Amino acid sequence: MKLSSIRPVAFLISKELVIAALLLLGVSFVIFIILFLSPGDPFGVMLKGQMISGSAKAGVREALSMSSAWYSQYLSWLVNMLHGDFGTSTRTGLPVLSEVIRVGINTLYLTIGSMLVTLFLAVPIAIFSARRGMTVFNWTSTIFTYVVSALPVFWLGYIVIYISIHQFGLFPLAFGSGSQKIDWLNFMLPVFVLGIGNGTISEVVRYLREEMERVFSEDYIRTARAKGASIWKHSFKEGFLIPITEIVASKIPFILGGAVVVEQVFNWPGMGRMAWQAAQDRDYPLIMGITLLAAIIVRLGSLIQRVVHIMVNPRASQE
Amino acid sequence: MKRLPSVLLLIFFFTFTMMLPQAGAERKTDGKPDGGALNYGEYGRPATLDPITSNDMISMRVIELIFNGLVGIDEKQEIVPELAERSEISEDGRTYTFYLRQDVTWHPKEGEDPVPFMADDVIFTYNIMMHPQTITSLKVRYEFIESVTKIDDYTVEFKLKRPILNALAKFSFKIIPKHGPENPEFLSREDPFVQKPIGTGPYMLKNITADREVILVANDSYFKGRPHIDKFAARPFADQNIMSQALLFNAIDMIVLVNHRDIPQVQGDKRFVLQPYNALSYSFFGYNIRNPLLADKRVRKAFTFAVNRQEMLDSFFQGQGTIISGPFAPGSWAYNLDVQPLQYDPQKAIELLNEAGFVKGDDGIMVKDGQKLSLTLKVPIEKESEAVKRVVLAFRNYLNKIGVDIEGEFKEWLSWKEDVFLKHDFDIIFASWVFDDSADISSLFHSAEIGPWKNNFGAYSNPEVDSLIVESKLTLDHEKRRTINRKLHAIIADESPYTFLWTLTNYAAFNKKLRRVAIHPYKFFSFADDWFIPTSEQR
Amino acid sequence: MKRYSQYSVEVSDFSDVPFWKKASFMDLVYVSYGIFIVILVIGSYIVGAFDLLPYDPHEINLELLMAPPQSSGHFLGTDFMGRDILSRLIIGIQAYFLPGLLAIAIAIILGTCFGVLAGYWGSGFDTIITYINNLLNSFPRLVLILLMVAAFKPDIYYIMVIVGITNVPVVASLIKGKIQFLKQKYFIEAATALGLKNRVIIFKHILWHNCRSILIIQATLGMAEAILMETSLSYLGFGVQEPTPSWGNMVQAGANYLMQGKFWPSTAPALAILFTIMGFHLLGDGLNNMLERRRNK
Repeated sequence: MKLSSIRPVAFLISKELVIAALLLLGVSFVIFIILFLSPGDPFGVMLKGQMISGSAKAGVREALSMSSAWYSQYLSWLVNMLHGDFGTSTRTGLPVLSEVIRVGINTLYLTIGSMLVTLFLAVPIAIFSARRGMTVFNWTSTIFTYVVSALPVFWLGYIVIYISIHQFGLFPLAFGSGSQKIDWLNFMLPVFVLGIGNGTISEVVRYLREEMERVFSEDYIRTARAKGASIWKHSFKEGFLIPITEIVASKIPFILGGAVVVEQVFNWPGMGRMAWQAAQDRDYPLIMGITLLAAIIVRLGSLIQRVVHIMVNPRASQE
Repeated sequence: MKRLPSVLLLIFFFTFTMMLPQAGAERKTDGKPDGGALNYGEYGRPATLDPITSNDMISMRVIELIFNGLVGIDEKQEIVPELAERSEISEDGRTYTFYLRQDVTWHPKEGEDPVPFMADDVIFTYNIMMHPQTITSLKVRYEFIESVTKIDDYTVEFKLKRPILNALAKFSFKIIPKHGPENPEFLSREDPFVQKPIGTGPYMLKNITADREVILVANDSYFKGRPHIDKFAARPFADQNIMSQALLFNAIDMIVLVNHRDIPQVQGDKRFVLQPYNALSYSFFGYNIRNPLLADKRVRKAFTFAVNRQEMLDSFFQGQGTIISGPFAPGSWAYNLDVQPLQYDPQKAIELLNEAGFVKGDDGIMVKDGQKLSLTLKVPIEKESEAVKRVVLAFRNYLNKIGVDIEGEFKEWLSWKEDVFLKHDFDIIFASWVFDDSADISSLFHSAEIGPWKNNFGAYSNPEVDSLIVESKLTLDHEKRRTINRKLHAIIADESPYTFLWTLTNYAAFNKKLRRVAIHPYKFFSFADDWFIPTSEQR
Repeated sequence: MKRYSQYSVEVSDFSDVPFWKKASFMDLVYVSYGIFIVILVIGSYIVGAFDLLPYDPHEINLELLMAPPQSSGHFLGTDFMGRDILSRLIIGIQAYFLPGLLAIAIAIILGTCFGVLAGYWGSGFDTIITYINNLLNSFPRLVLILLMVAAFKPDIYYIMVIVGITNVPVVASLIKGKIQFLKQKYFIEAATALGLKNRVIIFKHILWHNCRSILIIQATLGMAEAILMETSLSYLGFGVQEPTPSWGNMVQAGANYLMQGKFWPSTAPALAILFTIMGFHLLGDGLNNMLERRRNK
């Protein structure tokens, strides 16, 4: 690769890192404020089973050596976090960092897998309909993507499980089904459900189609076509690579949201499920940890998108 | 010369362990086969696995397999010796002496010799439990103990502040080893011990898998003899419908609590056994007596008359439960069977409301002095809440029929709790109480328990009830206490601070291969060391 | 939420031909299907208001729990409280419609403001708004909603406010992109040189002529998203609460029985969701094609 294309990338990455740090600060601050405003606190969960008096609560606070002013709580969390100490979950006492990484990896399998499923289905449909217009086949497949992505994702999950039990005699849980090895089919089903459901695939199809149509009608492609050169080669970067990275990056927060539901249905020990539990327990350190990880994943997605954008089109870095 | 005592102690320790009978190969003598594995499904996963900081039912069940108390409770609800061979109670009822078994060892850590269980462990457990920085729900229950002293390595003496009835049953708290927690003073959830417990029980923790499955293996040197089943695994589920399917599909062998909705499906399947067990709990609608509309006993009673509890029980829970009339769990000795639950009688309900001064307004809603009988019912949201929704909706429907307007409001769990117990901002709630064996209702209806975060959320206050509760607490005679509690039951049933609904029969469902399954009402696995799987079905 | 092409410029509408006459047949079908769905929604309000439902949707019948379709006069059967599913289905859309409109209004109004500020006036605003956009994008939304629901109450309006706010970045970046594109083509400079006021340029030439398709499409998609979001929340217990019927809580309640082989109570509302969301999708597609006029080149 030429140096000229590396320099803007390096510049972009360093700039993005600074922005990301600021963003994470903002995210953690906002979440902290909301946590502070919401009624109930982790002590309520720890003392569940006994009704707690104010003094017992103060005792717990002391035991956890937690000050009561919210800003000092936030600052001490922030300082610890900068030293690499994310604290321990108030519910289980396990260190937040290792817990979040453990579930984060499971969620990454799920999200990346589902993203691949989405692209695997959406890209061909988009390309065909952009190139050939609305033939019967294209029309049917487009409508199909609209249909599946308009179904409630947990209902789709139930249906898939029901069918696999009653038609194929399989119990499709990758985790908690007793088999020690991870069965590929069991692994694939939740990935598949999240990939086609959750309203993602229709948006990807539509966006890619629009972008490709636009690129195909650009002057330089028309020229290339007139010359008899391969359209594909010319349109690959702008009509294919950029839109895909763009839509993928912008869909990450939505896929993480869908994962909350899919993980519960398919008993997938991931981040969404843990976040849900933590939010109900008011497990502050864990919520903060998960939110940060989610934000990092989102930022990472957008960073990759920007890098691809600049590498393909170095002019963009000057914008 | 500071060193010498510790060296001496070490030698003593060493010789002592040598003298212990080798318990390793001990088998149960009932002739049932060993082997097999039991995977059971849980809705949710345990937070901590030690008996002190844990407070959810899922943890409780696992802990029951790992730990023992000084005394235990057998299938007939009688107290039996466990870690203590025998106990002595002094004349004045204030001193309890426990003589500990000498053949008990803690679960060995890998590559280490097992450590014997001794008096120090008991004292250690008590101290940890009562330490102000230990966060545990057990503390209040053991405030009656004044002190604990070690007489010798296998004798412990507890001094009580005052004699209380059935104190022996309270010594069933689980003992943790002195060498377990890292911090010798108090136990926090950050201590590694809470995730890697060491106990004396029939099963020991092998590991917790990456997907949070808790794997327990048989303790070969369990002092009651090695348990029959080799391995227990608690498998967490996040969706109850899927969990039921997992059972039906043999992905798991047991569900500890079957959703009532799924009972017919499991019942129809020959491969499974449904086993009822009576939980010491009941559901109720609780009234906020601070609201002048609800201060009149006739109004509350009218509500009870208006609700067809039998119909709800039959339609929503397949009739699996008992309708109750008063504040004690019907399984307990304190429950007064002579007080009959009020029969469904909407006409009577309307009469009672009329008597209390309410007349039907133009819109069909009862009115008194220009004030409509319109109330807010607050209900906590749970993910799996079909049963709650059903009862609440039906209640609303019944009351609408007699001209009471009920506004249902669903709230997130912790904010619901704050509304009910702190702000007292509600008219009616739907909830359940779960009891331990003591049948103690003092915190629910005594007027001293009115206040923020106290259990008498409805501000029910009646001097007669107060004095009866105190009297019942102080008496040492079981029969006398029974009489007092029966009286209490009758008064509270009449005053209706709650509309008492029912105790549901809980069902465990398990694969037929499991034999001789006995279930403890709320600890569940107390007798699991006797369960077995026939050799042919061990897979 | 979707993004649509930002790269076509509509300087002004000189043509006298109304846009629907230039539309292709398929687009007309799409749009009429979408409009049909919208009419059904309005019809639901009318039917509800004039009490034309087959049954009272709140009437509980404990003798007839989970009755299969066509039994005892219930066309689609009854749910877990013995209530008529068809009646609840008909008024189920009402749980979303107004709250959904609120979410759309928030997303569009705030998004447009942000977009214009960032795109038209540029750098200073741009940095701040990009920051806010990225911030809103970085939250796990369901967790955010749960926390907000806990802090206030599980009301569909609160939820939709958050859905609206989290959609602001999408609209803002679309508008901003469009304006920057117009700037690149010296469109705005030209307008300014003609002596047009900022107000006129922004509202007439930018927003009306060049961004209306973006806005219309975002609006139709916002409704689809509001429905799906409520459905997911219902599964987790925080959607529209009983006894108010919403398709989400109907699917959720019915899905409890799906594994027992009882399909009707969840399939009917799931299909309703499907057809409605399809309607909004297709309405968006059709309008996009018509307004952008790319189809009839």
